[in-house]
Formats: sequence, structure tokens, C-alpha cells
Amino acid sequence: MNDKETAAIADWSCTVNGRAVALQLPQARRLLDIIREDLGLTGTKRSCEIGRCGACMVLVDGAPVNACLMMAYQCAGRTLVTIEGIANEDDLHPVQRAFLEEGGYQCGYCTPGMIVSVKALLDAKPNPSFEEVEEALSGNLCRCTGYGGILRAVHRAIEEGQSRP
Amino acid sequence: MLLNRRNSGERWRVRPDGPGKVTGALAYLTDMDVPGALYALVLRSPHPHARIVSIHTEAARSLPGVAAVLTHADVPGLNRFGIARQDQPVFCEDRTRYVGDAVAAVAAETLALAGSALDLIEVEYEPLPIVGDPEQALLPEAPLLHPEGNILHSKSYRSGDAEAIFGQCAHVVEETYVTTRQMHAYMETEGGLFVPGPDGSLTVYAPTQHGFMDRLQLSRILAMPERRIRIVSSPIGGSFGGKDELNVQPYGSLLAMVTGRPVKIHNSRRESVRSGLKRHPMTIRMKTGTDESGRILAHRVRIVADTGPYATLGAEVLNFATEHVVSAYRFGSVDVESISVFTNNGMSGEFRGFGGNQAIFALEGQMDRLAEAVGMDPWEFRRLNMKAADEPGPFGQTIARTDGLAKVWAAAADSALWKERVHLDISENSDIISTSSATFDPKRGGGDLPLWKRTGIGAALVMHGAGLGYGIPDPSGGRLALRKDGKIEASFGFEECGQGLIATLEQMLVERFGFAAEDLRIVIGDSDAVPDSGSSTASRATSMMWKSLSLLQTPFTEKLLTEAANCCGLPVQRLRLGPGGIWDRESGERAIGYPALAERLAEPIVCEASTSYPVPDTDIVGAHYLYSYAAVVVKVEIDDLTGRIRVLRQFHAVAAGPVMNPQGYLGQIEGGSSMALGFALLEESTMAQGQYIANNFDTYLIPTIADLSGPVEVLAIEDLPDGDAYGPRGVGEIGSVGLAAAIASAVRNAAGIFIHRLPIDPALLQEVMPIGQWAVMSDER
Amino acid sequence: MQMSDAVGFSASTPTVWRPRHAEEAYRLKKQFGHDAAYVSGGTLLRTQWENGSPVPGHLIDLSSAAEWKEAGADNGTFAIGAQTTLSACRSDPQLQALYPLIVEASRSIAAPSIRNLATIGGNVSSGVGDSLPALLVYEAQLDWYDDGGERTESLEDWLRRMQDGTAQTDSLLLRVRLPLESANLDPSENLSENPSLTADPAHSFAYYAKIGRRDSFVPSAVTTALTGTIDGSGRLRRVRLAAGGGKTIPRRYPEAEARLEGKAADDRSVHLLHAILMASYTPAPDPFLSDEYRKRTAANVAASHLWRAISEFAHGKEGERCC
Repeated sequence: MNDKETAAIADWSCTVNGRAVALQLPQARRLLDIIREDLGLTGTKRSCEIGRCGACMVLVDGAPVNACLMMAYQCAGRTLVTIEGIANEDDLHPVQRAFLEEGGYQCGYCTPGMIVSVKALLDAKPNPSFEEVEEALSGNLCRCTGYGGILRAVHRAIEEGQSRP
Repeated sequence: MLLNRRNSGERWRVRPDGPGKVTGALAYLTDMDVPGALYALVLRSPHPHARIVSIHTEAARSLPGVAAVLTHADVPGLNRFGIARQDQPVFCEDRTRYVGDAVAAVAAETLALAGSALDLIEVEYEPLPIVGDPEQALLPEAPLLHPEGNILHSKSYRSGDAEAIFGQCAHVVEETYVTTRQMHAYMETEGGLFVPGPDGSLTVYAPTQHGFMDRLQLSRILAMPERRIRIVSSPIGGSFGGKDELNVQPYGSLLAMVTGRPVKIHNSRRESVRSGLKRHPMTIRMKTGTDESGRILAHRVRIVADTGPYATLGAEVLNFATEHVVSAYRFGSVDVESISVFTNNGMSGEFRGFGGNQAIFALEGQMDRLAEAVGMDPWEFRRLNMKAADEPGPFGQTIARTDGLAKVWAAAADSALWKERVHLDISENSDIISTSSATFDPKRGGGDLPLWKRTGIGAALVMHGAGLGYGIPDPSGGRLALRKDGKIEASFGFEECGQGLIATLEQMLVERFGFAAEDLRIVIGDSDAVPDSGSSTASRATSMMWKSLSLLQTPFTEKLLTEAANCCGLPVQRLRLGPGGIWDRESGERAIGYPALAERLAEPIVCEASTSYPVPDTDIVGAHYLYSYAAVVVKVEIDDLTGRIRVLRQFHAVAAGPVMNPQGYLGQIEGGSSMALGFALLEESTMAQGQYIANNFDTYLIPTIADLSGPVEVLAIEDLPDGDAYGPRGVGEIGSVGLAAAIASAVRNAAGIFIHRLPIDPALLQEVMPIGQWAVMSDER
Repeated sequence: MQMSDAVGFSASTPTVWRPRHAEEAYRLKKQFGHDAAYVSGGTLLRTQWENGSPVPGHLIDLSSAAEWKEAGADNGTFAIGAQTTLSACRSDPQLQALYPLIVEASRSIAAPSIRNLATIGGNVSSGVGDSLPALLVYEAQLDWYDDGGERTESLEDWLRRMQDGTAQTDSLLLRVRLPLESANLDPSENLSENPSLTADPAHSFAYYAKIGRRDSFVPSAVTTALTGTIDGSGRLRRVRLAAGGGKTIPRRYPEAEARLEGKAADDRSVHLLHAILMASYTPAPDPFLSDEYRKRTAANVAASHLWRAISEFAHGKEGERCC
């Protein structure tokens, strides 16, 4: 390897779904490729690759980010949560349960990214207005549902969140 | 009753494929990878039309890490594919005909190496004149894209002498309708994993709507017997008709067989846009005439479809459009001629609605124009002309009799939305109308709306055929078994692309037989494990599952109960199927569990059923027998400043027989209507000189949540005539067919402008200076 | 050699530099020239790379210095660090109070997840970002770092140089500065300092709109911003108008602003504004929307801003008269 390549590849560490991860990889490697290929977590999907569909949505320090746009160095030392890390140990996350009960999915390919965005929204705003829901999900495309089932799932999750002690 | 969770009660279930989807645990076929897999890329033509002078792959092949580079010389069998007609090259030999045409394919240790290898393949092209639209392709001097010419298919249907009748008509309306090249835009692109076996067999894990057809096509290409090829085709991240035809499977399969190693392909979005199918753009010219009272006497239609460079299902789509431009109404004399034309544009092919979307947009547009010419309410005009339940189908064929059309018509007429329109029309007409915009316009502004927004309400009526139609083999079937492990196994050769097939099948089994969901194992999407049920297309799967289960019910039940009676020493009449096992009607207790019963059997109990989709008694190829019906009412808002349209509210009435799965049915109508909204307002896969201008989701715009946040109500009308033996009709497509026409109707209502082209150009609706004469504050100081 | 469509950015391994100071960042850019790119959020660049633009050998990451992410009062101005994300701008309470059009513009750009990475500096540096019309009407200034160290120039001037092709490409954007005079201050405060004004209160207005081919998450076709005041006697004061959209470099419209100064706030001034924009809005070519459509959209939307302002002012006066 020449000097430029050694400079390009560096140690990278990150907390992924609660677990410390350390890898050696190119600093500009796309986070989506790290997640799907290096870590084998294929719940995060590849669809448009330019941040226009949200299928690759993950949480970095709790904020939703398109993994296809983020590079390794931008995530180094931070906390990354993918769809695989949304559920609790034994139980589904309330947002996941709401999607199941309302049928907020059809083919399911947009669903991981959608659920990540919904979780981020409700973590920040447990009782959002309709406009806030729309804004929060404006970057998540769904081709199957027409968003009807998704909105029903979000409202159920909000209601259940409000009624929990 | 409106379809929703509350009204559905216990019939609203959690889908069996749900947990995997909401946790990300479900692996799609494009997620699959194995150690030692190679990564493949396809080299496609940069030119829409070119002669190939030479191909040199030596430099690519000698790059370290490259395992294989293939061209047409490396195809052991047939270098062609196509569901109906095999005319599309796997690898082009001497000519490329569109920018997605494949010239070579590479497999390498990494994707990056494959990309580098692709760049090292030297292809010398001699660009040829580009045939950029069907009109051009039909000129005598046009380059011939195929030896037999530039026409893929033509179809005509005539009844009576329409030309002669026009002279007698009191009102005649002529219009040319143009529809857009829409893209499926499934969120999962094409791809898969191709794994050669040590015995020379091949397993293909690649999404497709018809695994058995893929197997047949690949066997021809690979020159391998079908039994050596296994296709795993599910789950699919969206298809909508776009993954029925072959796409990357030939390349993955060939590379796997040549290298002896697993090969992975996963199209980038740009690759998918470039090479994938699109909806046929159509130009539909209609001339329709009525008598004084508004009865249609003559109807003349000319359809020109741009099918791109190769056949795929272009002829079948054309047949469907031809039938549907004469659907739903009595037309008197009819003269339809349609033609599907080869061009160097992108490939057009199967797409949800299958030519019905284009046909109904045109036909419903004619109905609105005629109603106005006659001076009638547009919905009354439809009632006057729509066919009765016992009348023949579009091609004069006998069709399954239902009241569906009248019932959806009535449901729309009764809807709150349509009543709102009728009320507004009355109040508008009761004021003095002048041309000045300073007069009261009940549709303009009002309430919270600023002055420059107008609303309107419109409706459309839809009749949509299901099944492949007369003349195309349409077999189906399924299998039920009690397996050694005690599971009731239902096997169908269908695929789950999100439509809820698995959930609907589970629901049918639970409701028809009394099983519990936990008793079941549903097997689909594996050609080694399932019978051939035909393609998951044409809104046929629900009907065919229902039919197969109705054929299987008696024999399967009898076998289970007989064996159980033997095991338990109880008379068979006392026994019935139930959750967990077989139950004793008298004691009210379970007599024997399915696992226990299975253990006692020497052989598993297996029942198979064969059937086929009903066809009419006719000789017109493509004619259908079973139809679904729908009426759509929509309220839109137009912003005069920008000419842009918002859909505010939708009402759908759908008559398709009994609802098998309420959540699935609702989802299909909601989802279909969102595709129709895109078709009407947003989506155009623009091409210029055979090149795609919009090649990703930043420029190809599909609806976001903001575009679809208005309420959508779906009323399912389940009634069927006594004695109807066909059960549920499919609803996979019909939701996508009517909304565009309804939006056009609403635009006419709001803005007085007739739309004849999709997607709707906002410039047509934009006002030059829309603030008008409304003085905000005169100059008093 | 053109990369095939099938492989994007993943094939390249650029070196990533993480300078702490402006001087270091600028030095790197000068050293590597076209083979280096400043990277803020990287969202725009990554889109370009996926679409086939060449990936440079060196990325100069600008996210490392905390000072470049702060927003607040500084020396009689309001300064926003260039590396402040659009999300942070969107939710900043000071910006909402003082420069609400910047919040409005941030909300209209892309989608939340992209805004979590994308920065106001990146949006400005593109020369066509949707924040620019809002910044223009607030008479923003830009702090750059280049050969002579730090320097400040007006945004308007810089955009003019972008239009002419004379703007430097290596300069590092440090801050966007907003004059406190442009802030959305309560006009009644002015009243107490100027007892010579009539008893009728002045009405300040600020509007922003971004129009695309879809309601959300869309490249802009037309972007407009309008601020100003209607004084107690019903005359327009200090109208500021800016428009851009798509690949059109945004600019102010001084002719419109001058001709509206002191005019009665009535429908004639609305028509005047419309006519001037129709004549002078010159959009860059767009493959999807005609020039004519976009001119009309710009003129219609900007005129509707003024109409709204006048309408609100008139209603306010009526409310008074009622009592």
C-alpha cells in the first residue's frame, strides 16, 4: 500500500446498538456500507443512495441521519443505532408494535428507515402536531402504502405514549 | 361499511411477515451474501441506438481480482429473453437499441474491482440515428429497429360503422390524451444472489413475480434443464409489475455457472432507472358522439403506445388498453385501432393497471367533455350510458354478471364529497356570473383559504379486468399438506411483494378451515417446494388462492378427519377441524392435535388442486371475464400562483366481491391511489433523444407523506349475485386506475380547464396575476 | 474515464483532513487545489459523487472546530458559524425571534435527516442554496478566510461575483453575519424612540417561499423572500426583495425596492412589484420547468407576499376602527 492509502485508512470506533465496535477502514467509507457489509446489519436498506428516500435512516447520537450520506469519519466516536437496535432486549419498541398492529407497512423495505425516523420524532416530541409528523417523515419515501397505514401507526404510537404513566 | 381497523374487528390481523419487517430481521434477497461471493456489474450501452463494431475484454479479464468477463459469445443457450416473445438479447451481439441494453458483465472479488473492470472493457460503437418517438418510428424513412419493422403489435376492434354514425350525432367530442412514462420506483432495486451447486445445479435467490417463468427462461439461456435450477423469489421489496420480466438474473446466473462461485448483484438506483421497465406512454385519440339526450352512439379510438426496443409484455398491455377504452359504457358503434411501436426509448412493460390507467384516463375524460356538451351533470351522464349487469363485456363477450358498476356509481353519488360538489354547483349557478373575477366564486378562497386558492371536486368510474385474458394460458393451483412435524402446510407458487399475499392466505386458511395461525406453515416463492400457481400478477392471486382452497377443502378435510377418526376411535361425523387439532363436536374437546396426528401417519397427507383463471367464451385475444369496479371521488385545491394541485380528500368505492383480508384490501386501494396521484401530478421519466433525464429520486418525484396527508376513505362493496361461483376478485390494481381521471375532473370543476395530458402541467393552471381586482387598500392618502 | 452508473463513491478512498483552524484548512486547500474539497455536512457533495462527479483525493473536513458552529450576538451583529447545521438553524430560538425567514428557509431545505448534517455554510457556498434569498433580504455579510486572513464582504456582492464568475473558489467561509438593524424587532419599540411618528403603529412584514415540483423535499424551482414595513400613514418603507431558485443565483431587486419606497401600500404597488419581477427575474435553464412558468411563479409569489402584508395591515387598522 502506498502512503496515500495508509493515510486514507484509519482506526474507526463507534458504539453500534450499544456495543463498542473497532474497525480499520477508509475514513471516507460510506456509513451504509460499513453497516451492511462490515457489520453485516442488513436491516438498514440501500435504495436511492443520495439521501432522497430514507430507506437507510439510522440514528447518530439520537438524531436521524441518512447512512448513505454519512462517511466513516463523521460517525467516529459517536453512538449509532440501527433498526436492529431499536427494540428492547425482550420486547419490541412501542413504535414497532404500533406498526404491526396498524399494518403500517406492505413490502417492508422502507419500514426500518421509517421506524427509525418515527422513533427519533417521538423521542424528541412525544405529542407532535400533524405538521410536525409530516415534517419529520418528509424524507422517508414509501411506494406501497400511500402513507395511510404509516400515519395510523404513528398516531397509535403517540396515543399509547400519552397514556403510559 | 368503510374499511378500517375498527370496522374489521377480529378480521384485522397482524401480518405473519410483520415482525421480520418491523425489526429489520427479514432478509430480502438483495440482502443475502455468502463468504466467497463475487460481485457483479453489467456494462450497458451508452447509446440509445448503435452498431457494435468490436468488443475487447482482454484488459478487463487480466485485472487481478476479476473472475470472469462475459459477452454474447459466452451464452451457452439462447441469447434472448422475454416472457411472451424472446427478442431481448442477454448480451447484444451487433447492435444496441436502448441505454439499458447489456453488452458485457463482470464478476470480481469486490464491487470496486468490478467497477474498474467494467471501465477496462473496450467497446467500439457506431452510433445510429435515434428513433425517439412512435410517430417518428412509423415514418417510411425511419430506421428499422427489427427486421420485421417497427410495429410490435396492433389490435383492432370494430362493431357497427362508427364513421357513418358520427354524422347523425347531436354532440361530438374529439380529444387527444397523452399519458406519462411512469416508473415503478420500488424501494428495493433488482438484484440477488446466484449460487452454483457442486452437482452443476444453480440456485437463484432473486426477486421476481413468477419464479417458474424465470426458471424456464434461464433454462433456455443456460442450456440447463429446468429441474437443475431452483428459483427462490420472495420476499420482494416492491414490484408493481416491474419484476415479472427477467432483469439481472441472466447475468448473475451465467457468471455463477462460469466461475463456479456465488455471485451477488444489487442494482444501484441509477442502474435500475436505466435498464428497468416503465409504464407505456400512450397517445389516445378519441372521438365520441351522442344523440340529443346524451346517449353515446359512436366511439372511435386510436391508441399509439411507445413500447421501447423489445417486446416483453407490450402486446398484452396494448390488448388490455384496447379492451378498456370500450369498457363500462354502451358505445353504440365502435371503431378501435391500436398499435404498439418500437423506439429507442427505455423499455416499457408490465405496470400495475396494465394499460387500464391510460385507457380509463382517456375514456373518463371523454365522459366529462360529453356531459358538458350535452348539458348534463357528469355523473348522471355516466349513469345514462353505463352498462347494466347483464350486458356483455367490452368486446361483446359474456362476462361474469355483477351489479358492481351500478353499486359503485351509487356509492359515489351518495358520498359526502360528491354531494358537496352538487351543492356548490347549485349555489354557483344561482348567482349572476360575469367574467370579472371580482364576483362571488364559491370555489375561490373562503374560510381559511387565501384568494388565490380554488377547490374542485371530480369523479371517475372504473371497470378493470383481472386475469391474463382469453388466449393466454392462465393455470393455477395449490397444495395443502399435514407434514411430519405436525404443521398444516399450504404451498402456492405465488410471491409476496408487499401486497399481503401471505397474510391473505393465512386469513383464508384460518377462516375457511378453522386452523389457528400457529398451526400453519405457508410456503411460497421457492420453485423446488411449491406448485406452479402462475404469476403473481393481473390481480389474480387472491382469486386463485380462494378457488384452490375451495377445491381443496373437502378432500383435505375428509382425509384429516378420516385419519383422526381412525386414530381416536371416534365416528368421523363427530369430528371437525379446529385450532390446534381435530375437535369432537359432542364433547367439545380436542380429540387429537395436528402434531400427534402427523406422528401416527405413515405418509403425510397431501392434497393438490389445479385450476385456471376463468376466461370468456370468445375468440378475441385478451378479453376478460372477471372484472372489478370502482368509483373515485376526489377534492383538489389549486394554487393559482403556481398552478400546483393538492389532493385534499378521496373517496373510493370498490366492488370486487368479498373482502378476504381487510387490512390488505385497504392497503391496496390506498397504495394504488398514491401511485395514481403520482401518475397524475408528479411523475415523468422524461427522456430526450433516448436518454433518461431524471435518473434518481431527486428528479423523479414520487409522492411523499406531505402529498398524501388528506383523508382517504375506502368503501368495499362485497355483494355478488346469488350463484356467483368466482369468489373474491382481485384489488391489486384497481386502486391505481381511476384517481388520475378523477383529479382531471376535479380540475375542470375548480378551474374550468380540461386536462388531456399527464402529468398535469402546472403552467396550464397558473394565473398571470392572480391577485385580481381585490383591492386591499385603495390609495386614499 | 467515466465510471459506470453502477458504482459510485465506494470505489475511492480519499484522505480526510481535520483541521482545527481556518489557517490550516485554507493552507490545505491551496496545497491540493482541485484535488481537495472542503466538506461541511458532505450531503451535497455525496449526491454529486454518486451522480458521477469525480471524487477528490483529499477531503478537508470543516466540522472539527466548535467555534464554527455557534450562533449568537457578536460585535453589533448576529453571527452564525458556517458549520452550524440547518437543523440547528431551524430550531434556534434567537433566529426565530430575530430572523424568522432563516428558520423558514431551513425548514424548506431537504428533509430533517439531511438538515442534521447539512450546514448553512454549505448551503451558502453552493451559490444557489435556498437560504440565500432570506439572507439577502436581511442584508447578510460573509466572513471569509483566504490569502489576507479574515475578511468580510456583503452576501450580495459575493453572489454578484458568483454570477460573473469572479468569485474565488478556495476561500473558506467562516461565518454568516446579520446586521441587528435587519432583525425582526418589535416596531413599537421604534415608536417610543421616535415620538414624531403618528400614533398609528407601523407594521413589519417578512415572508419567504420555496416552490418546487412537489410540496416537500424537492429542489427549488423558485425561491422568494420579502421584508419591509408599512408605516403609520400606510406607506411602504425599506422593502427588501430577493429571489432565486434551481440553478438561478439569487439576487436582490434594487429597482423594485427603490420604486416601492414611500409608495402607498395598496394593490397598485402589488401590481408594480409583479410587473418588475416579470420583467427582471431571469431564471437559469431547468430541464423540467419552463422559464416562463418560473418567471410567473416568482412574480406571483412575491406579489402575494406583499398582498398578504398589506392585507394584514388593513385588517389591523379595521380592528382599531371597530373599537
